[in-house]
Amino acid sequence: MTAPAIDPIRTPVPTTVDKATQERRTTPARFDTALGWNDRPGVSWALRILLCAIALGIFAAPFLTIVSGAFTTHASGSSLSFLPHDSTLQNFKVAGERGIWDYFTNSLVIAGGALLLQLAVSVLAAYALARHRFRGQALILTLFMLTMMLPEEVIAIPLSLVLGHVPVVGVDLKGTAWGVILPLGAWGFSVMLLTEFMKDIPTEIEEAARLDGVGEFRMLWQVVLPLCKPALGVAGVLGFVMIWDQYLLPLIAAKDPTDYTVTVALSILRTDPEVGSGVVLAGAVIALVPSLIVYLLLQRSLVAGIAAGATKG
Amino acid sequence: MTATVTTPGARRTRVLSKKALLPWVFLAPGLLLALVFKFLPMGKGVWLSFFKVRPFLGDQWVGLDNYTRVLTDHRFLDAIGHTLLLGIGQSLGAIAVGFLLALLLEGQARTLKIVRTAVFLPVVTATAVVGELWRLLYYPTSDGLINHALGFLGLGPVQYLDNPNTALWATMVMSVWMLAPYNMVIILAGLAGVDRTLYEAAAMDGVSLWQRLRYITLPAIRPALGIVLTLAAIRGLRVFTEVYVLTGGGPAGSTEVWMTRAYTLGFTRNDIGGASAASVVLLCVTLLLTVTVNYFRKRGDVR
Amino acid sequence: MGHRRRRRRLVATLAVTGLMFGTAACGSGSGSAGSSDPNTLEVWTRSNPDDAATYERVFAAFTKKTGIRIDYQPIINFDQQLQSRASTKDLPDVMINDTALMGSYQSQGLLKPIDPDGIAGHDQIDAKTWASTVGIDGKHYGIPYSRQAMTLMVRKDWREKLGLPQPKTWQDMLTLAKAFATRDPDGDGKKDTYGMVVPGSAQNGYAAWWGASYLWQGGARIVERTSDGGYKPVMDSPAAVRTVTWLKDNLFCGDNGVIQPGALTAITGTATNFQDGNAGMYLTGPYNMTTFDQTIGKDKYEVLPAPAGPAGNEVLADGENVYFGARTGKTEQEQALGAFLVSPEGQRLAMTGGEHQPVVRIPVNTTLDAAKVRNDPRWGVVQKAYENDSVVFPNAPDFAPVKQDTADALNALFTYCGSDVRSGLKELNDTLAGDLKDQDLLK
Repeated sequence: MTAPAIDPIRTPVPTTVDKATQERRTTPARFDTALGWNDRPGVSWALRILLCAIALGIFAAPFLTIVSGAFTTHASGSSLSFLPHDSTLQNFKVAGERGIWDYFTNSLVIAGGALLLQLAVSVLAAYALARHRFRGQALILTLFMLTMMLPEEVIAIPLSLVLGHVPVVGVDLKGTAWGVILPLGAWGFSVMLLTEFMKDIPTEIEEAARLDGVGEFRMLWQVVLPLCKPALGVAGVLGFVMIWDQYLLPLIAAKDPTDYTVTVALSILRTDPEVGSGVVLAGAVIALVPSLIVYLLLQRSLVAGIAAGATKG
Repeated sequence: MTATVTTPGARRTRVLSKKALLPWVFLAPGLLLALVFKFLPMGKGVWLSFFKVRPFLGDQWVGLDNYTRVLTDHRFLDAIGHTLLLGIGQSLGAIAVGFLLALLLEGQARTLKIVRTAVFLPVVTATAVVGELWRLLYYPTSDGLINHALGFLGLGPVQYLDNPNTALWATMVMSVWMLAPYNMVIILAGLAGVDRTLYEAAAMDGVSLWQRLRYITLPAIRPALGIVLTLAAIRGLRVFTEVYVLTGGGPAGSTEVWMTRAYTLGFTRNDIGGASAASVVLLCVTLLLTVTVNYFRKRGDVR
Repeated sequence: MGHRRRRRRLVATLAVTGLMFGTAACGSGSGSAGSSDPNTLEVWTRSNPDDAATYERVFAAFTKKTGIRIDYQPIINFDQQLQSRASTKDLPDVMINDTALMGSYQSQGLLKPIDPDGIAGHDQIDAKTWASTVGIDGKHYGIPYSRQAMTLMVRKDWREKLGLPQPKTWQDMLTLAKAFATRDPDGDGKKDTYGMVVPGSAQNGYAAWWGASYLWQGGARIVERTSDGGYKPVMDSPAAVRTVTWLKDNLFCGDNGVIQPGALTAITGTATNFQDGNAGMYLTGPYNMTTFDQTIGKDKYEVLPAPAGPAGNEVLADGENVYFGARTGKTEQEQALGAFLVSPEGQRLAMTGGEHQPVVRIPVNTTLDAAKVRNDPRWGVVQKAYENDSVVFPNAPDFAPVKQDTADALNALFTYCGSDVRSGLKELNDTLAGDLKDQDLLK
């Protein structure tokens, strides 16, 4: 889509930008994408459909076996089938009896809280790192990346001690959602990601706003953030996946089995001799739905081009 | 670093002006959380690598013993080759495939959204389930999906995982499959920021598709590529879960990587000091690698 | 300017690292949350929520009987949590966990010695079972709680269809396995069945866990106690060479289909061929019967003693012990709990989980009969195998490294069919000697 010349300072609400751009599709679609795909029937169109089918076959088709196993009474662990032999909801019922929905609720609370915290923390840090210049900048960014470098198994025991007795304040976070949420607050990846994308925003917009006397927080909220929506989308999706996938941390922070998350529950189901692989697969299907929904919801911001063209250059 | 907001005048002032303090206010929540929940346990982990760890009886200082033990253990040394091959192979493979996927699936049409979501499935599935799924795909008889497909081409069933010559490659393919959609998402976000008018102008100038990619798209998605590369540097050598769920390091240690060794040391052999030392070695190499990647990236930026 | 900036950067780095270590040092050593009430015992088990429900029933009965309250914590990442509690010098009062962990826990000083005479009803546990809880210094460090031994599960319907007898020897077993693989026992006209299931991965020592029974049957041991209280590795014995060679030549490198495909990277969780109905035999623990009853049906398979090798039909046994945490000062209450757990009442409760998983397999209390309590004659086979023909891994040393190294070596020998078993086992023996030497046990 072409970028209409909208000054993001005067129209700071990002959604209107998107709507406007979508409605005003005047130029041909082949300028929309890097490869110039054409959306009218033709050779390029047919080629793209073929390639999409191959991509789907490789990345998505294997999941049919997971779904079909989840709906089969005695799913086999050693052979594949794309269609359930005998369609049943029994596996979901058994998974429910094993309390998967309670764990699911725990996961939702933790994932919601942790994602909000993580995004807020990352946006603030990235804004400082990308839009301000100060001493020790490179060091700070390296420190944030350092948080991702030591395997969590190695820090598990010390972290368990910290959670049981947070230094200085002396609170016991075990058995609370905070015990999982707070350690997930600082994630090097989303800080790095947002920093890189924020650096790429031209300074002119900001300088103009500064001349208008816009304060720092408003600047971040109304000027910078709308311009890095795709990066925020990525940080949101991948952050959610990362939080949802946590296994060791919820175990460390738990005081009681009722504190477990759905990812922990899934691994419990796998070792439970009373439930078959069908129940595990049902659990897996339940567990992957929220991440998919988050991805679907944030898709728009992931690919919706911003009005960068108007200001860049 | 392209963005500067402080004027040269401000930098000269020595007093802690409001302006100088500002970035630290923004950084404070992140640094505080990282300090308490990351660096503190990390510091302790590094500290433990100098001890024979006996939590109840009291740790014994052993100096660099744990390090010499790890670095002279032939099984750790054997794992280095596998780690490098798997780490580099899966990282580059995932970047290449992720880039191609992003180019293919860029766009606003509703069908594309659905295809993108479907392709994202490997990322949102629990890794252990992915491991089980691939054990089925690789099933070494003609019942296995991949062997079934090979059967149509008249090729015999292949023992992907139980053959020490192919197990590492099979693990790599699974890793690429898991990581490529992850990279795709990041690169898509980069592509979203490319200035569309440049494509239009390029079309008018009649440049080839290759030139368009090379001179417009690639420079514009440099931040995204930088992130993907840094991520690869951080994650590549730490590869663990993929191996653990698919082969457990076997057969005959042919897929044993650095972290599976460290895990065995720490958890089945209860040598926490040794496992910490192995992890610290990995941390140092990763840090070096990340700093190097960033150095070359910055040099590229300046050029 | 550049120089000054560099120095400043250095100072900043030092400051940050200093801060890291400073806070790390302050962070430890505080924050114990032990229950000081002498009438409450903190009990840990390594359990899923489902097993935990059974334990809760047992503990509720104990509290009702004695008035001693139980602060019960089922824990999945048991060892991690235990290490972190150990570093605050505040251990749980009672722990129930694998027999194999005793040596490791004892060497770390985590356990309190146990006087069997102090446990009411200790004479209802037989001498062989009590012997498995003797530590390296000759004292007891655990109370036996649950035991199990491996038995051979065989697809009865397949075997009868092919008209073959129950396997009594290795050769019978091999013949049956080949027949299962080649003579289409499931009658679907396809060659999609396998003789037996083998979890042959080295991960977590599975290859050694599975292979141990065959080593015992072949007359071999992994390590042996010496007369002066130490241990020596004996995996280079002729019996070990003979056994491993037999396994390699006949199961892993013999005819296709004798064992399930993918056995070299299979762990118990992924070796599901028996329950999926495409493999005919599985030498494994009795806890799997619940699964098999559901998936293939109780009438379709039989539970048999392991076929005999050249030296008999001994199998590997293992189980769980009750451990007392060191320095907790509630010995009397702990002993009361220990006595209840091994009493007929306590064992019976734990064997019949009701809707939940039982947590005691073969009772250690000799007055109980597993087959009668469960009303299932198959458990009699398991109990007999345990009582008459089972050998445990030595629990007094920290056996985990030995088991892991043995698994690594076996997995490698089975992978490379051209490998030389004798030199491979010689090399393993040297590695095992090193493991024992690390614990000052090599004599």
